[in-house]
Amino acid sequence: MSLEYTITYSTKNTYENIVHSAHWQFLIIPETNETQDFVTTNFSNSLAAINEFSINGYGFNTIRVNPRKAFQEITFTAEFKVVKKEINPFKFNLSDNSKLDYQELDSLNFKVDFEQYLKNTPFTTLPDGTNGLFQLDYSKSIFENLTNLNQWTYNHIYFKVDVTNVHTILEDIITKRHGVCQDFAHLFCAIARAYQIPARYVSGYLHQGNGYFGDSQMHAWVETYIPNVGWVGFDPTNNILVAADHIKVCHGKDYQDCAPLKGIVYSEGQNETQYSVQVISQQQ
Amino acid sequence: MLARVANNLFWMGRYIERSEHIARYLNVNYFSSLDAPNQLSQSRQFVLRSMCFMVGDPELDDDKILLEENVLYKIGVDHNTPYSIINNVKLARENANSARDLISTELYEAINKFYHFILNYDSTVFVKNGLHDFTLNITEMTDILRGKIRGTLLHDPVYAIIMLGINMERATQIIRIINAKYNDALNSQGSYGDKFSKSFEWTTLLKCAESYDMMRRYYKKTPTSVSTLEFLILNPNCPRSIMNSLNQVYRHIKVLDSTTNYNKNSTAFLIGKVRSEIQFKHIEEIECNIQTFIENILQNLSEISLKMENEFFNY
Amino acid sequence: MTNIENKIFSAYQRDSALYDEIFDEDGTIKQVYQKLFNLYGEHTIEDYVKLNSKAKSSFFNQGITFQVYGDKETKEKIFPFDLFPRIIDPEEWEVIEKGSIQRSKALNLFLWDIYHDKNIIRDGIVPMDLISSSVNYLDQMNGIDPPGGIYNHISGIDVIKHKDGKYYVLEDNIRCPSGVSYVICNRTALKRALFGVFNHYQTYSVTNYAENLLDLLESVKPKGVDIPNCVVITPGMYNSAFYEHSYLAKTMGVELVEGRDLFVENDFVYMKTIKGPEKVDIIYRRIDDQFLDPLEFKSDSAIGVPGLFAAYKKGNVTLANAPGTGVADDKAVYTYMPQIIKYYLGEEPILNNVHTYHCSRPDELKYVLEHIHELVIKPVDEAGGYGISIGNRLTKSEIELVKAQIKASPRKYVAQPIMSLSVHPTYIDETEEFEQRHVDLRTFTVLGKDKEFVLKGGLTRVALKKGNLIVNSSQGGGSKDTWVLKNK
Repeated sequence: MSLEYTITYSTKNTYENIVHSAHWQFLIIPETNETQDFVTTNFSNSLAAINEFSINGYGFNTIRVNPRKAFQEITFTAEFKVVKKEINPFKFNLSDNSKLDYQELDSLNFKVDFEQYLKNTPFTTLPDGTNGLFQLDYSKSIFENLTNLNQWTYNHIYFKVDVTNVHTILEDIITKRHGVCQDFAHLFCAIARAYQIPARYVSGYLHQGNGYFGDSQMHAWVETYIPNVGWVGFDPTNNILVAADHIKVCHGKDYQDCAPLKGIVYSEGQNETQYSVQVISQQQ
Repeated sequence: MLARVANNLFWMGRYIERSEHIARYLNVNYFSSLDAPNQLSQSRQFVLRSMCFMVGDPELDDDKILLEENVLYKIGVDHNTPYSIINNVKLARENANSARDLISTELYEAINKFYHFILNYDSTVFVKNGLHDFTLNITEMTDILRGKIRGTLLHDPVYAIIMLGINMERATQIIRIINAKYNDALNSQGSYGDKFSKSFEWTTLLKCAESYDMMRRYYKKTPTSVSTLEFLILNPNCPRSIMNSLNQVYRHIKVLDSTTNYNKNSTAFLIGKVRSEIQFKHIEEIECNIQTFIENILQNLSEISLKMENEFFNY
Repeated sequence: MTNIENKIFSAYQRDSALYDEIFDEDGTIKQVYQKLFNLYGEHTIEDYVKLNSKAKSSFFNQGITFQVYGDKETKEKIFPFDLFPRIIDPEEWEVIEKGSIQRSKALNLFLWDIYHDKNIIRDGIVPMDLISSSVNYLDQMNGIDPPGGIYNHISGIDVIKHKDGKYYVLEDNIRCPSGVSYVICNRTALKRALFGVFNHYQTYSVTNYAENLLDLLESVKPKGVDIPNCVVITPGMYNSAFYEHSYLAKTMGVELVEGRDLFVENDFVYMKTIKGPEKVDIIYRRIDDQFLDPLEFKSDSAIGVPGLFAAYKKGNVTLANAPGTGVADDKAVYTYMPQIIKYYLGEEPILNNVHTYHCSRPDELKYVLEHIHELVIKPVDEAGGYGISIGNRLTKSEIELVKAQIKASPRKYVAQPIMSLSVHPTYIDETEEFEQRHVDLRTFTVLGKDKEFVLKGGLTRVALKKGNLIVNSSQGGGSKDTWVLKNK
């Protein structure tokens, strides 16, 4: 069975003074992968500037906009239609010998293959003295441990908006225990990587029909690589495995690699941004 | 050629030309006033006020006594006055710097030497007794620069843009000098029966534009208001005249804009139009309303500059 | 001291503990310098002082200056220049040239490998840490094939001559190595001042650098481009190396652009000219990785070009050097150079490496901390001679401070034995005499598709402060004209 989603993304930027030059890059187009077929995309801006479809440094699809005239207000509207396969997140074969899997994590080739998702970034560095926050149980499989980590993260942090921002580092999150989806994802990644399990930050949309946390904004979760299985998605904000409600846009080492919108605006004074995301599903 | 660099070249030309006119204005006015035929033209205050007027910073308080050293310092070597000669040369060099890969080594070295000369000129010497030496050096060095521009650059768009800058600036400065001296001629007429049309200031004006000898050769008579204005505005063979400057501007814009199509929005069209209007004017028309004429010309020149900027220098 | 009867060298103090480039240990003048020595000897020191000040003002008038930013005003300074040239004989030069090419090629293969399969790490030759903890490793470069397969188009390799008379490499500079314009200016200045001396030597010309550079850059043009359009990008005229940027653009006959002159449309790069947009295919960039593209790297970069990296990733433009080459510039990578050369080329290194201790390895860290007074401590990711501590010049409290810094972040530091750089007679303004000063040599190697070029000359940098070993211009260094002889 498959589900069809319609995603609308819109943002309106208003500036106190006239802007003479600006560049934006959107990283919001759902990717095409085994479980999601990307159907259509519609993107427009209120200044009728050219929308350039391109890629970023990691190969994910972007849209760049560079209005070549002065303005004080601009609105961007995007609509995506995605067909998502209904999947059972538990449908994979766990190896019967988890000891071998742990050995695999330790091999040099494995470390080289996943180097990018094993190293720490400023957002995924655990503060000193917090190594024991979550203990890995080597008698259990990697998958089980990660499921526990998912639960642990979910319990450790309380979902609360407006207490953290895109610059918040783990130290604040661990001590204050409040945060939003990207903070949950960063903490999960940091702990998994501390145990040599490759973990990547994922940015995307969540269909909220089931009452999940995620605000009406873009969502973030985690994918970890389990030897002999592959990449498995965890959503620590909601303590669930990633399934048909998760529509992926891109992945990276942390939020920095996945920021949905990057802008360089040459203007002085204040600016205001309104932004909304809506995900609607139609069963097919 | 990069639009930004073209802009730099244009302004390099303008600043070189501008520093020359200011320097010569200081020199000529100061030294011709020393033995001027009437008292007012001889007056130091009159001369100093005229200098301030010319650089666009007139002294509005009629009762204020200007100090010679202050005025000379301010216009000559003060880093803090935007119109000072030293700042013009500095800006000429900065613009040359960012277009350095396009101009000849010879031209660049000459500009650089020019800059170091001014930078190292002792300002106390300048305001006390260096005016002649300083301004003479500046006018000579700008002549060297013009020589290097003509002789060491390929006569291609780079050259055309510099020449556009030089000639646009020349037209602007000449009209400003006419304005200043016209003003002086008005103010200095009176007590000694010195009529406006035969004012001593016309001679000074011609000398400020390095055109006195040429004018004498052409008219063979003492300059009057009509003959002076006719010569400096309308004579196409006087290299300093407005007419000649506009002809040059038109010639050089054609290098950049080679289209032969009729395009009423192009810079070349506008220049051609302004040029033709002046070409078919006669001096009596101008003289009866010189103030309006001056304002119109300045307005036209700034429109041309703006259009040029949008068409070629937009980056 | 015995054999010096030359007027100009009469007061020359020779420290026999140092390797003097022109005198043997017993004080006899070396054969290649014999003629030069006699020619200079015909002058008095007064003549020399005059020539020296003329040369200085010639640099000023040519505008070969860099800006020094002070509290109140910026000053223009010239890069100090010494009129007594350094001579390298053909045999020695051959070693340097071959060694430079060997290193540049090995570095290029290393860069390709670490941005693709990373075999050198899988084979255990270098540790993974070298890339995973390097701030200069760009994840975005993974899997990108730079046009022509070249990363380090331009390499500046710093070599010194040690007491043993052998050449050692001190550093490989492959981000934006600068100084090549000074090589040419030094030659011009020396020719203007002392043209006569050139009649007695057959010296290689250095003015062919730009044409070779352009030729090699054009050999790595993007696919599908017939006649490539090359530009040099500079941070702007206030950059300390602006003279060099404009020099290179001018002599290559290409445009010198700033970030604001370029824009990206549909993943192609264009420059804004007086006749509208013009496509750009090759960019010799003199701005650092992090400033190249504010949409991909540092978002507050005002000197970059938004969208440039996407254009690069799509193969529509060549960047020289390629982004991410800085990782191999890391002083920790330097220490593996002998192994890297052997791994990729199957050759023994032609130029020696200075033995290096990695503070990241516990046993070597211990050695460094115990022997700090006989070592040079270098941060791994700084350029320009910044942050270097020389053990035997430090006070007690400074030693403790350096130790604390190393212990706090061992990965950040490497240590080397204090090398005794050779000395060269250098005219000193203050004493108005020739004195021994330490020198090094920066060579310039250019790699293109299946061809390479080494500038036959290079920049001899002089540490002008007595006894100082740091030759960088930012640390008060000067330079000399460097002659590579065609025959002895």
